[in-house]
Amino acid sequence: MPTHDELQALALSLKVAAAGLAASLPPAIAIAFVLARKDFRGKTLFDAIVHLPLVLPPVVVGYALLILMGTQGPVGSVLEKLGIVLVFRWTGAALAAAIMGFPLLVRAIRLSIEAVDPRLELAARTLGASKTRVFFTVTLPLSMAGLATGALLAFARALGEFGATITFVSNIPGETRTLPLAIYTFTQVPGGEAAALRLSVLSVLLSLGALAVSEWMIRRRHA
Amino acid sequence: MRRPAALALCLALAPPAGADTVTVFAAASLKESLDAVTHAFEIVARDKVTVSYAASNALARQIENGAPADVFISADKDWVDYLERRGLVAPGSRRNLLGNELVLVAPAESRVQLRLARGAPVAAALGAKRVALANPDAVPAGKYAKAAFTTLGIWPSVEHKVAAADNVRAALALVARGEAALGVVYRSDAMAEPNVRVVDTFPAGSYPPIVYSAVILKRSTTPAAAALVDELASPRAMVTFRRFGFRAP
Repeated sequence: MPTHDELQALALSLKVAAAGLAASLPPAIAIAFVLARKDFRGKTLFDAIVHLPLVLPPVVVGYALLILMGTQGPVGSVLEKLGIVLVFRWTGAALAAAIMGFPLLVRAIRLSIEAVDPRLELAARTLGASKTRVFFTVTLPLSMAGLATGALLAFARALGEFGATITFVSNIPGETRTLPLAIYTFTQVPGGEAAALRLSVLSVLLSLGALAVSEWMIRRRHA
Repeated sequence: MRRPAALALCLALAPPAGADTVTVFAAASLKESLDAVTHAFEIVARDKVTVSYAASNALARQIENGAPADVFISADKDWVDYLERRGLVAPGSRRNLLGNELVLVAPAESRVQLRLARGAPVAAALGAKRVALANPDAVPAGKYAKAAFTTLGIWPSVEHKVAAADNVRAALALVARGEAALGVVYRSDAMAEPNVRVVDTFPAGSYPPIVYSAVILKRSTTPAAAALVDELASPRAMVTFRRFGFRAP
């Protein structure tokens, strides 16, 4: 049976991943739409920047977050005056998780939007719908499959996030010690093998579950 | 004429006698000082030394799982005992190399003043911020820090304000960046980092004596390992180690 500490790590992981996903959905949809439908100077560069967390070592993302968003950093010091502190907090872990999952989210939504027939949107426009209304009543509902897949991938990525998290928000039980950090910590302590193994099995089950749900969603869409 | 030339070429290309590579796994706090000592050893002995620095517990775990190390230098006795119990240490190779002290540090620009006596108001000095330690359950520096805080009766008040880092140098970096208001590190760490200042030294009796031990691992085959450990335990090396803030064991 998992102990209190292990359940705490599991609950924290789910909270961090869910919050990270919720926070990244609106900007991800906006950016995916822009990338799918607009052409502008520097689009390739913009696209590359969006994809950067996918190819960068996570520890680089964590270090960049620490430098920028720490209480001594240019952004973090301003946020601190507004009463928002991210470093060493679960909210910081959620930010790290959101950034690492962001490219996966944008990619999936963008592909879905590109697959929407522009003539449907045009038809809605000729019937007098505003651009915003067309987006919310035609484009977005037709992109739901991609959105769901992207969300699950980003969620799974957030559950597994380690490098950026430990670098940015350290390893604090109950606050920032998510599943991967808890597993790592248990591997460091004599006699921690059993707990590390239990949590690893739990991680495998969670990931398999997320993949199964995403597979089911895609099938339902095509059925 | 051709043969002597070929011979000369062979001699020039052949590695010098005893040119072995010694792989050392060493406690993170030894970084600068051990680099200096092994560099001098490399020049004299013509052997190559590769050092991997991390928390002693992480290194012990790697060695247990077959990491190709010749020499292990731990910041506490427990992790050497741990490897000895598993029969991974060459018998009789254990040497106590160095001692160190535990200090409380703050960012260089911090104005905090504290005397580390019983019930010192460390938690109050932290405010909403955290105290950076190496992981107090496993990493030597963190275990010493927890012991010292416990002896002084401070641990219950700071336990929930700890930012546990991966090793002592990661804790040091959190203080140097100003993200943690205080940190507990070795005196040698505080001396290596210009962006922190020592607030106070922990009383000598408040934590177990800090002893860095070196062992040769059973799986090691190079004679250079013994030569290196002899050099590390020499008075000449001690001069260098002292310069970086260490003491005799």
